[in-house]
Amino acid sequence: MANSAKPISSPVPQEWYPTLAFFMLAVGLVATASFFIYEATVSKKNRSVLKELSTGAVASVFLGFGSLFLLLSAGVYV
Amino acid sequence: MEGACGGRGARGEAPRVPRLTLLTLLLLSLLLSLFESSASAPEIRIVSAERRIDLASSIVRAYVTLKVENIGSSDALEVVLAFSPTQAKSIALIRASTPEGKRKKKTYTPLAVNPTTLPDTPADAQLFSISLLNPLKTGETTVLEVLLIQTHFLEPFPAEISQSESQLVYYRDTAFMLSPYHIKEQTTHIKTPSKKIESYSREDPTNRVGTELRYGPYDDRPPYSFSPIIVHFENNNPFAVVEELTRVIEVSHWGSLQVTEHYKLAHAGARHKGVFSRLEYQSRAAVSGASSFRHLLATLPPRVHSVYYRDEIGNVSTSHLRSDQHKSELEIEPRYPLFGGWKASFVIGYGLPLHDFLFESPDGRRYLNFSFGCPLMETVVDHLTVKVVLPEGSKNPSASVPFPVKQKLETSFSYLDVVGRPTVVLEKENAVPEHNIFFQVSYGFNPLSMLAEPLMLVGAFFLLFFSCVAYLHTDLSIRKS
Repeated sequence: MANSAKPISSPVPQEWYPTLAFFMLAVGLVATASFFIYEATVSKKNRSVLKELSTGAVASVFLGFGSLFLLLSAGVYV
Repeated sequence: MEGACGGRGARGEAPRVPRLTLLTLLLLSLLLSLFESSASAPEIRIVSAERRIDLASSIVRAYVTLKVENIGSSDALEVVLAFSPTQAKSIALIRASTPEGKRKKKTYTPLAVNPTTLPDTPADAQLFSISLLNPLKTGETTVLEVLLIQTHFLEPFPAEISQSESQLVYYRDTAFMLSPYHIKEQTTHIKTPSKKIESYSREDPTNRVGTELRYGPYDDRPPYSFSPIIVHFENNNPFAVVEELTRVIEVSHWGSLQVTEHYKLAHAGARHKGVFSRLEYQSRAAVSGASSFRHLLATLPPRVHSVYYRDEIGNVSTSHLRSDQHKSELEIEPRYPLFGGWKASFVIGYGLPLHDFLFESPDGRRYLNFSFGCPLMETVVDHLTVKVVLPEGSKNPSASVPFPVKQKLETSFSYLDVVGRPTVVLEKENAVPEHNIFFQVSYGFNPLSMLAEPLMLVGAFFLLFFSCVAYLHTDLSIRKS
């Protein structure tokens, strides 16, 4: 049983968690900033919903994964 | 069985058959059943029995070597062990094995042990049967090794002692081994922890050399011979008993196994009497509080990380962790030394790398391989609960434990959970260090379920952005600009 079974480990090496958390959160925050800058500077008539939502989606993907890796690197194993 | 059938058939045809034939048939069936019952209980004789009883700690361990001979006419499939009711109540574990091969190449094959009953057992003797690997043929002999572990069996006497006294306990047993079979020759060796033996019963020949008492050899004792003996001796080893232990093992597929252990520890030896003087305890450590204990040693798996030890008030700073390649040792000190009847409760927690304990079997199911018992050395656990918290999205969990335990399923909630985590709860009464063996919990898991948690976070952030967009696009002003 022990010979044929293969050990399971995390899909992402655990040493990368802090680095991943830092860079993904950084990218996510930059995207968030660009989203809000776009919202604040471009007038309502010239704004495109597609661009707003796509910037929001990119920011949320990076922030979501970034916060997950932040939790993992802090020792909160979800 | 056959006899009973014959009887029923005869009764059914009763009107036609003459009375005499009916009677003979009945008699015949009776005889048949008698013959059958005698055939099903083969006659066994114990050629030699040797018991080595180790009273070194609070746990009583008896190593019994039996040489069994079949003197009946049919094959014997099992050998029965007998215990008195008080003894049977305290049994935590019976392990039987049969040695094979000679001297250095000796291997031990474990045998199944199950409680059983026999028709004519005197005075509520409790019986356990050992199933033999191969049927024992007429005239053949075999050797059986039995390990018997008893807890809460040593009775402190006096039951209350002061700080400066040492602890004396009673050990009760019989000089002749209780057995449903005739025993040709038997000896009992009792090993005490120190040379200080207050008194012991005599049953000639009885011999005492240093820390060892020898009862026997006794020849030709009939079945169920009984001769009570009492040994009154000094035992200052820690009588550490965990009244309740809950181990929570949380599995995270992100690379960690988090273990949290809640202890309710007690000193189950002679109760402490009078006042406790810290000054005397500290200055005359050799004579004061001999039966108390202040250190506990826990053996944890290797590569353990983020270990903590705390109680209700907060962190307890008196602990040391040493680790090497094979194991980690955690030495903890409760806030105060424990005397008889005193209690302490605390929590130990640690993290372990996942790849040491979680595996994928060829059929695609994942299984956790973890040790069952309490990691503290030489400690009895009265009530042990092991909870294995599986990741969210696990399906059909099932546990396999090498000894009988109570099992149930629960759902527990932790960080980022929606439907809850399936939790396998295993409960065991009266666990000893020998129960510290590996058990398996297997479950089905789709690796894509791992994405549920990050996607939940992504969704939450996206909702925020979307609501921003929606807010900035709606015009809530009353006056048209």
